[in-house]
Amino acid sequence: MKELVAAITNLEEEAAVAIVEKKLQAGVSAHDVLAACNEGLIAVGDLFSEGEYFLTELMFSGEIMNSIMEKLTPYLSAGETTATKGKVVIGTVLGDIHDVGKNIVINLLKGHGYEVIDLGIDVPAAEFVKAVRETGTKVLGLSALLNSTYPEMKTVIDELKKAGLRDSVKVIIGGTICSEKVREFTGADDFATTAIKGVHFCNSVYGHE
Amino acid sequence: MEESKQQLYNERLGRYLAAIRRKPIDRISTSIPVGSYADAISGYTVQELMYDPQKAEDRAVQFLKKYPEVDTFSAGFSSTVDFDILNSRLYRIPGRDIDPKSIRQFNENEWMKADEYRKFIDDPIGFRMDVYFPRILGEYEKRGSIRSYMAFLKAGMQQGVARELSRQINTRIKNEFAIPPSSQGIVNAPFDTLTNLFRGLHGIMRDMFRQPDAVIEACEAILKQNLVSCVGMADPKKQLPVWIGATRAGFLSPKQFEKFYWPTFFKGLIVLIEAGWTVRVFLEGNWNAHLDYMAEFPKGTVLFDLDNETDIFAAHEKFGDKNVISGGIPTDLLILGSPEEVRQRVKLLIETVGKDGGWIPNSGGSIPAGCKPENFQAILDAVKEFGVYHTGPAPEPEVSDMLDVKPQLPKLDRFITSWEEAKETNNWAIPGDEDLIKKNWELFERMAYSWVISRR
Repeated sequence: MKELVAAITNLEEEAAVAIVEKKLQAGVSAHDVLAACNEGLIAVGDLFSEGEYFLTELMFSGEIMNSIMEKLTPYLSAGETTATKGKVVIGTVLGDIHDVGKNIVINLLKGHGYEVIDLGIDVPAAEFVKAVRETGTKVLGLSALLNSTYPEMKTVIDELKKAGLRDSVKVIIGGTICSEKVREFTGADDFATTAIKGVHFCNSVYGHE
Repeated sequence: MEESKQQLYNERLGRYLAAIRRKPIDRISTSIPVGSYADAISGYTVQELMYDPQKAEDRAVQFLKKYPEVDTFSAGFSSTVDFDILNSRLYRIPGRDIDPKSIRQFNENEWMKADEYRKFIDDPIGFRMDVYFPRILGEYEKRGSIRSYMAFLKAGMQQGVARELSRQINTRIKNEFAIPPSSQGIVNAPFDTLTNLFRGLHGIMRDMFRQPDAVIEACEAILKQNLVSCVGMADPKKQLPVWIGATRAGFLSPKQFEKFYWPTFFKGLIVLIEAGWTVRVFLEGNWNAHLDYMAEFPKGTVLFDLDNETDIFAAHEKFGDKNVISGGIPTDLLILGSPEEVRQRVKLLIETVGKDGGWIPNSGGSIPAGCKPENFQAILDAVKEFGVYHTGPAPEPEVSDMLDVKPQLPKLDRFITSWEEAKETNNWAIPGDEDLIKKNWELFERMAYSWVISRR
């Protein structure tokens, strides 16, 4: 399995998929293969955090995982293919239609085993509140690219307070426009300017660190 | 122009040009990109400013009456009517698709598929007409219909009208307010063109791993197109810089940057620089990993606008001795901070990055719409307080000594139907002056070619 972990860590897609096929043919359990893949993904995430890898490399590790899952899924039981680490509700706030950053975070979260409820773009505060109430999520992610959205992020958090849900959910705002100053203004629990920070945040909320 | 106004115009332009050339200046240049902020304080919605040229003109007039301290202002009319005429799916339009007060928003997608590189490279016009336009232009979906012909006809006419309106506004601003624009002409980094308009970030990310050679070849093909179109729009006096928004390098590792981004980015800018132009480059996003490369540009040729994520002090360290840097006032500080915080930040930047004229005030690319007016005023006041080097006159605007230098452009025939082909297939006898007809034929061929290539 070491070579599979290494192939994913080094972003060698063809090699990684070939190893997975070989392992499955040799009767290795899909569960063990998946575990090795996760180890590789975590290694890529660490290299990204250390500044060794950059965004497109982090994203490509998710692509490799998609290719592997095509091979792996038929061998996995239903329970093993569904996410188990926890639920995350995410969306781009009202007034902003950008979803590139949000989708990168979603791919990463799924790769790391989270169930993600994607509310899409231009999402009004009431929809965030409704989703938090209905899913019982412990994490809400508010995404944005435009710096005109600071007040809207604050509105969502204010609405959560009014609905009596603020204490049951941790809110993280994400996008390059976010900063400690913006976090403080909006009343969020944390902010992220990189996708991997979002994963770390979820791991800490759900106790997977 | 009145003499006093001409003098003021020369002071502003001279100071700005000298700052870019890294020559002595009397004070920090206030060539601050203020587009969104000027929109916001005009009292008009973004929709009104994009559709109504009188309101766009009034926006400029209002701004410059309020802030005569600025050295440059881009006053043009950014019409968006062509996006309606063609129903461009690349954008969400204020007032049509989204809130009239929102800026126009980009709809990124894989508009070109992974297996379409060959046609894209070999047949740029055919690819657009047959593949790309039917996807991105709603009014061209039913190609060959009367409606689709009308859409192209209207869009061509609209381009001429919008340019003339912009020209009129700029002329008024020059004559009445003695303010030059901050740039003339645009050129994009080929990798950005490929990513933004055709493959999207997800698409290009996969291509860099799965078909790297195709990405490189496509960038080289785009470079030719971008350069040739740019030179036609650039300042013929070679004073105002060409503008470039460099958008996607922040997502790339140094290895990817060196392989995919840098070669055609550098080549394009160097062709312009060697022909005597300067360039104003907005490095969007986080460029911290690529700053060493920026030191390769010759002294006094590039103005770098940095985004919030790039460390302006590190940039100054690497190439501040060669080229002028703008930025360093965080966007969130202007929106949420106090005038005193802004004053302190500007003071720090003038004393460090700008200590020998190497800095122009800016936020992350431009002053945000939500900037508090007292914070924008604080920037201008702090420049007066800390950014004056001497009380003598501003430098005169330098006249280019390279006016006769022709840019080394790649060979590119911009004709879909060459004159020879037209003459032959139409059986024209030409009893008169052929050159007269040919010249005009080719002029409009080139214009139409550029329109198709740059259409989005």
